Amino acid sequence: MKAEHKGQRKAHVAEEPPPVGGSWKTLYAVVLLNLAMLVVVFYLFTRAFR
Amino acid sequence: MRALDWVVLFAALAGIVVYGLWKGRRTRDLDDFLVADRRMRWHHVALSIMATQASAITFLSTPGQGFTDGMRFVQFYLGLPVAMVVLSVTAVPVYHRLKVYTAYEYLEGRFDLKTRTLAAGLFMLQRGLSTGVSIYAPSLILSVIMGWDIRIVIFLIGGSVTLYTATGGARAVENTNFQQFLIIMGGMFIAFVTIIRLLPADVSFVEAIHVAGKLGRLNVIDFSFDIHNQYNFWSGLVGGCFLALSYFGTDQSQVQRYLTGESVAQSRLGLLFNGLVKVPMQFFILFLGAMVFAFYQFTQPPVFFNPVEVERARAGASGAQFRALETEYEAAGDEKQRAARAYVGALRAGDEAATEAASQNLKSAQEKANGVRAGAVAILKEGTKAKPDDTNYVFLNFVIHYMPAGVVGLVFAAVFFASMSSSASSLNALASATVVDIQRRLVTRRRGERYHFISSKLATLFWGLFAITFAQYAGQLGSLIEAVNRLGSLFYGTILGIFLLGFYFRRVGGTATFMGALAGELAVLYCFYFTDIAYLWFNVVGALVVVTTALVITSLSGKSETKKPPVGASA
Repeated sequence: MKAEHKGQRKAHVAEEPPPVGGSWKTLYAVVLLNLAMLVVVFYLFTRAFR
Repeated sequence: MRALDWVVLFAALAGIVVYGLWKGRRTRDLDDFLVADRRMRWHHVALSIMATQASAITFLSTPGQGFTDGMRFVQFYLGLPVAMVVLSVTAVPVYHRLKVYTAYEYLEGRFDLKTRTLAAGLFMLQRGLSTGVSIYAPSLILSVIMGWDIRIVIFLIGGSVTLYTATGGARAVENTNFQQFLIIMGGMFIAFVTIIRLLPADVSFVEAIHVAGKLGRLNVIDFSFDIHNQYNFWSGLVGGCFLALSYFGTDQSQVQRYLTGESVAQSRLGLLFNGLVKVPMQFFILFLGAMVFAFYQFTQPPVFFNPVEVERARAGASGAQFRALETEYEAAGDEKQRAARAYVGALRAGDEAATEAASQNLKSAQEKANGVRAGAVAILKEGTKAKPDDTNYVFLNFVIHYMPAGVVGLVFAAVFFASMSSSASSLNALASATVVDIQRRLVTRRRGERYHFISSKLATLFWGLFAITFAQYAGQLGSLIEAVNRLGSLFYGTILGIFLLGFYFRRVGGTATFMGALAGELAVLYCFYFTDIAYLWFNVVGALVVVTTALVITSLSGKSETKKPPVGASA
């Protein structure tokens, strides 16, 4: 009974949207853009102090 | 260590054990013990994931790498954010919908029992041994630096972790990991601020950065492609992505962390947060090492950072020669300090020609000091098979000699916590695989949940004792330690290939997957023994050979072998 209840709760919340950003695609884009920005910053950092 | 350091260290250790026991006191069933009743919020999931990945060696070795090799190691993590996105899209919904306790349960639904048992067995072999090593390695460094009895350090780390993990399971692990990671990063930040304050009064922070950069320690990004180069942009992005996919997607010690999330959303957020902050965090720890390097351009460093090795060399047959080299190294250090100050002066004056000339002098002084050090290291190598390497000792050696009272205890607590957090996750995962994938599935299927709940606690105790025992004898195993450390990179690609077939290629069945796994493993072993390809690429080779071989076999046989599409497999 407990497991069944938990299953229902999870089925319900599984589709919940992210708390910020509006959609998961936006959050994924933020993570990848953050990576791209870090690479650029690291490159400039390497050049500046070479 | 001073009295305040002992107080900080023991208060932190006792506090975390009590906290773990308290948080795990309500663990009453199998669901609670293995996945914390699937009620964790994203921030607990995120920090637990990060604490699991960052072992004590991460916090000892990474600043050392920044010191000796510069910051290029950060590229190793460039593929991680990509992997976090891929896993959020694919693995997380599948594992949640199937409500699995272990990643390997999925393989039985998708392929067959033998594939599940094989994957769980490989995990237990690799993770069981590596947990022992992850306790042994920091214990060795702490015992060498502090002169402590290594057996006591091993027992302290292993015993306390086993105690709260066996008592509270995943709930205790998640909560202690969260607190431990905050203290680890707090300790590292305070250490960083202290290093900056320890720089000479007439040298600014930016000038110290320039000195480190001029001597090649700020080499963060290298876009040149070289398959033999361990750390460049391409190996980090591609090889690192495959490694992270395998580690976070198929290694139970990580999968279990996000299985505790209360929903797909909470687990995803945990992984994505890791994708956002992991690379900057590694940059920061490497930068810490680069700043220790900058500090030692204005202060005399020891010729070798492992004090036990230095004492052995001084007392050995070439002791007189070693001491002469130490004196010569001090003279070279004085010359280097003068060159560094001259460089800073030229930099401040804004004279480009003088700056260039001073930088050449600084590099020459550095090369001269390196030459003297190489002579000392050659003496250290006499009579030993292993190559002397003090990378892991640089940071703690610096800490005990230069950090103020209290901060030393905090940094030591951070090292203990790093070892404890990764070990706790491993013990929890090993208990899960042992009970869920082996015992309950193959031996005691008719037994009830209470029986398997107790079995999970006993399995945690067993793996804890196994890790402690293995750690006690690890020092006598010589090159086996290195082999254990490489074990993961030899299997991760193949295991990832199996899971990729499961997630993305519905037509491929168990036999084709099994044959693909064999081919993939042979390809990885060939690369390992007969080529000098950088190991990050092993993960790519293994995964691609598994997938390609299985697809070819499926095409040639002309029929799909799939038993049943598991729930959520199409996600």
